[in-house]
Amino acid sequence: MNPHHHSSYLNPNSLKSRFTKNFLRSLIKINKQTPFPCRPTEMFQRCHKVKTAADKSLACAVGSRRVWSRAMLCKIRNRALRRGPQKPPSVRRIIINNRTMKKGFNCLKEKMNDDQEAGIDQTSKLRKLVPGGEAMDLCNLLDEAAHYIKCLNTQVQEIHDAERIESLGKD
Amino acid sequence: MESPAGPGARSSLTGPQPHETGLDSLQFGEDIQHLISVPPENASSFTALLELPPNQAVELLHSPDSSLRSRNVIEAHQQKPYLEPHFNAANLMFPTNSGLIERAARFSVFAGENLNNITNNSPETSSVPSNSSANLEKVVKSEPAEPESFLNPLQPLVSDPTTVENGAQNQRPVKRKEREKKGKGSTKKSKSSANEKSEDGEKLPYVHVRARRGQATDSHSLAERARREKINARMKLLQELVPGCNKISGTAMVLDEIINHVQSLQRQVEFLSMRLAAVNPAIDFNFDSILAAESGSLMDSNFHSMAMPLMWPEVQVNGNRQNYEQQWQFDALNQLVWGREDDSYNFITPENSLLSYDSSANSASLRSNHLKMEL
Repeated sequence: MNPHHHSSYLNPNSLKSRFTKNFLRSLIKINKQTPFPCRPTEMFQRCHKVKTAADKSLACAVGSRRVWSRAMLCKIRNRALRRGPQKPPSVRRIIINNRTMKKGFNCLKEKMNDDQEAGIDQTSKLRKLVPGGEAMDLCNLLDEAAHYIKCLNTQVQEIHDAERIESLGKD
Repeated sequence: MESPAGPGARSSLTGPQPHETGLDSLQFGEDIQHLISVPPENASSFTALLELPPNQAVELLHSPDSSLRSRNVIEAHQQKPYLEPHFNAANLMFPTNSGLIERAARFSVFAGENLNNITNNSPETSSVPSNSSANLEKVVKSEPAEPESFLNPLQPLVSDPTTVENGAQNQRPVKRKEREKKGKGSTKKSKSSANEKSEDGEKLPYVHVRARRGQATDSHSLAERARREKINARMKLLQELVPGCNKISGTAMVLDEIINHVQSLQRQVEFLSMRLAAVNPAIDFNFDSILAAESGSLMDSNFHSMAMPLMWPEVQVNGNRQNYEQQWQFDALNQLVWGREDDSYNFITPENSLLSYDSSANSASLRSNHLKMEL
């Protein structure tokens, strides 16, 4: 793994393979856990699980190197905590503190200047789209957005391939 | 007294005290001739200099020869009455002549070879000696924005001995120096730096960066400029990533495109994963061998080869299920739109979301086929 070399993220031996491994593993798990849903609501839950699996495996493949991947993992874990069994409050507090610490006051001043420079609507939209974008200044936000787009492209490609191959059996 | 025949002709170097400058003026004239013949390539600079207020040119017209340093200073001093109303205070400052010459030498276009001679040990490259009078400030400040192109190749080299005396006042933006340079009517190999010190009312921090023409040089704007350049570089990267962004100009439009692209990618992921979830149960083979293969492309091909033989027996079994799945896949998609928990993604309508996946033609065609089957 080359953490600081950008092109390595698209190296077939790194991000793509890691993502595919994680994703397939989670797919197998999902298949084993629940029988094929018959009712739409079950199907709906299953879709959500698959999507979460895709996001989580992508974020894990990137690891902690990027702000957006860390933020995405945090979000997923928080969601799991919220929905899952009640964990001891200390765990939750830690996670919440991590998130609030990111939103330091210093960021706000820079963000206001950034937004005025580049268009308030666009930067706020971009912040919402890119996970973890709320707490970054424009410079880092653009950086993270670029990497996020690259990883999304690989993700889409991989899921598409998997789906295509799987659906081949049905034709 | 002869007047310099150079482009800075407006500035007459003859002072009102001929007895002091007699000898100097003679030599000065020779130097001027020399100077005039030297810089044919900097014609633009001369035209620029022509626009300078005469007092500026006067101040800065000096002979390039270092031996004339003191004389230059005196010359400058002699010019004072020429500029009587402005430079009364400056007269007091002129004892620090060598500094002036140093400074002038520093900024001369043609002073490349001479600057080394005149160079002092002062570490400050951008400092300006602060000996000139307050009046000079006004003079310099009143300069119109003039072409400074000829100043760009100049290296801010030497600092003056006078700067040492002036301490904090030596801190000065590069731009001021450049403006002063404009005042050098002819090529100056040695200049007096006394003019330039008190030019600005603002005491600026030490800057190492050479400011570009027409740009302010205080630390805030420099930092902002650096920041803006970083942001522009990253915007360019993003433009390359997002297809179709290269032709768009303007930050806002590019950002719009980027936002649309990210949104479409995210929706694509959702949609594909939903389809995958619907399709998945049909495949029930061992992934371990696939996972053992490390490369993604290898995995796909293995996937493919392993999937094919295993799926054939499933086709007939799943015949009925196929119809059923297709039917309520579409229903599920509808429900997904309304019942989703993730509020970060906006599904407009199933049709719109499907049609918006324009980034990959393959998936679009696949989806449209799928839709046709369902409808």
